[in-house]
Amino acid sequence: MASRGGPQRPNGASQGKICQFKLVLLGESAVGKSSLVLRFVKGQFHEYQESTIGAAFLTQTVCLDDTTVKFEIWDTAGQERYHSLAPMYYRGAQAAIVVYDITNPDTFGRAKTWVKELQRQASPNIVIALAGNKADLASKRMVEFDEAQAYAEENSLLFMETSAKTAMNVNDIFLAIAKKLPKSETSGTPQPRQGVRLNNEQGGQQSEGGCCK
Amino acid sequence: MDETYDVIVMGTGLKECILSGMLSVSGKKVLHVDRNPYYGGESASLTPIDQVFEHFKKSVPENKYGRGREWNVDLIPKFLMANGQLVKLLIHTGVTRYLEFKSVDGSYVYKGGKIYKVPADEKEALATSLMGLFEKRRFKNFLQHVQDYNVDDPKTYKGVEPNMVAKQVYEKYSLDANTQDFTGHALALFRNDEYMAKPCVDLIKRCRLYSDSLARYGKSPYLYPLYGLGELPQGFARLSAIYGGTYMLDKPVDEIVMEDGHVVGVKSQGETAKCGIVVCDPTYAPDRCKKVGQVVRAICILNHPIPNTKDGQSVQIIIPQNQVSRKDDIYVCMVSAAHNVCAKGYYLAIVATTVETSDPEAELQPGLELLGAIEEKFVSVVDLLEPIDDGTENKIFISMSYDATTHFETTCDDVLSLFKRITGEDFDFSKVQHTDTETVE
Repeated sequence: MASRGGPQRPNGASQGKICQFKLVLLGESAVGKSSLVLRFVKGQFHEYQESTIGAAFLTQTVCLDDTTVKFEIWDTAGQERYHSLAPMYYRGAQAAIVVYDITNPDTFGRAKTWVKELQRQASPNIVIALAGNKADLASKRMVEFDEAQAYAEENSLLFMETSAKTAMNVNDIFLAIAKKLPKSETSGTPQPRQGVRLNNEQGGQQSEGGCCK
Repeated sequence: MDETYDVIVMGTGLKECILSGMLSVSGKKVLHVDRNPYYGGESASLTPIDQVFEHFKKSVPENKYGRGREWNVDLIPKFLMANGQLVKLLIHTGVTRYLEFKSVDGSYVYKGGKIYKVPADEKEALATSLMGLFEKRRFKNFLQHVQDYNVDDPKTYKGVEPNMVAKQVYEKYSLDANTQDFTGHALALFRNDEYMAKPCVDLIKRCRLYSDSLARYGKSPYLYPLYGLGELPQGFARLSAIYGGTYMLDKPVDEIVMEDGHVVGVKSQGETAKCGIVVCDPTYAPDRCKKVGQVVRAICILNHPIPNTKDGQSVQIIIPQNQVSRKDDIYVCMVSAAHNVCAKGYYLAIVATTVETSDPEAELQPGLELLGAIEEKFVSVVDLLEPIDDGTENKIFISMSYDATTHFETTCDDVLSLFKRITGEDFDFSKVQHTDTETVE
């Protein structure tokens, strides 16, 4: 089988170093987590996006000067619905986007719970971004921009209001995360890959060294 | 929860999670519940360390074991055979993407009060004092024949018919009692000597699995996942969720609802979810199980590696039953901070065997003696439960308890047998190819 990650986007492979990061999405059901990723990775939006089925993780690259940042984006696969997300999900995540719906104050409250959960469970230097999604529905706004921004500042989170529908700030939030992630030779991943990945090849030992090669 | 599902799976132990994944992948609508607030059931890795002390009803020592979250303590010790069925399942379902493994440093076997490294290559084989020079030559001939043996090709039999019993094969190669012990228990990984009187194909198959597994990563035939075995059920649960499986933890189950002799649903907290099939571990249907034995396990925290293992960071030791006048082998599995299962400077060893007497803990003594000083010891004696029927009539398919073996082969046998009983078809490893790493749509 293929190892983690897939074919490089042509714009990513040419020069400079490539850093790979695991990014997890969190947030209440139906706030648009999958839609944000689909917009970012495929440039698509579906008004009636089905609940997440079938996506193990998606990858997308962002170019910063001489560095290509490759995100391995994990979706919850719906396991958040009944508060049944496995610890494995946060494991080794270097970035997280916590999503809420600006038209639904409950989802903002829930987003705060996720932030706490990340601060408790995830690695200490994880980069967390808060995304107030569905910004195109501003006429139905129930969560004030200032309130969310103040909360984000208190907790040292990146913050943007986004719209997967109009693409507003979608690329920007990923880019902001990419900028904030450590990209030096050694600090690319808090724990460089230390184990073997299994594959189909006989004698197929494959150990990937760190993130930046 | 008031919905209709094809299958309701109860318990998130490894077997249930693999089945949940396989069934979701094959298009079944699956609801998967667990009464505990965490994944893994019996095959969980407990974290933080306080949870281990609480689980065994001991008081938690203060500030002794570093950061509690660094600990992921398995309740059931096992390693993966690098070329075994679980690895095949992990690869073919793509679950391996969520996991990282380390090769186990060394496998040891107990003989006459001492432990010897099981040779991992020709050089080690030549140097070992496990057997004498002439015996080595005879053993090499035996291994060569095993390697060339093909059940489908009588030309490879060379006088060893598949139905010849294992003992006769040993005799044919003039292997002495010690070598027989070593082969049957440290390579073929039989738990007792019942195999001696059975057809030799099983012995040959198991020796092959060992050498093929050894060939994959070198140091030993075993692999262990970083962060503990509890990662395995979580990985398969994610697979199931990705294919539409619904997960509810912390969900008590009140009743399996029956009609006309077969299952029609599961009741929980006043609601009933309808289904045509239930898959569960024995603790969810105790009245449909029988006790077939007991396993005793001692989880030991050490602050040093196991003596005489060249400071191995992960080690297996097999004590063949004959060596200590028992009927069943004693197993020692040790992992360490190198696997992200404990704080730096600590080691986690589990000694386990099948219970034979009324003093189970004492039966572990030969294994415990090999460990050196023990900081903390948690002992458990658990019943081995088995379903009283195969589930094909009442559509309640119950897995067996995890046995004392140190690898996952019997676990996978049970999973594959359950899959066949549930679906009426063999699970075809070659058919399940996840299409691509990026997206599976």
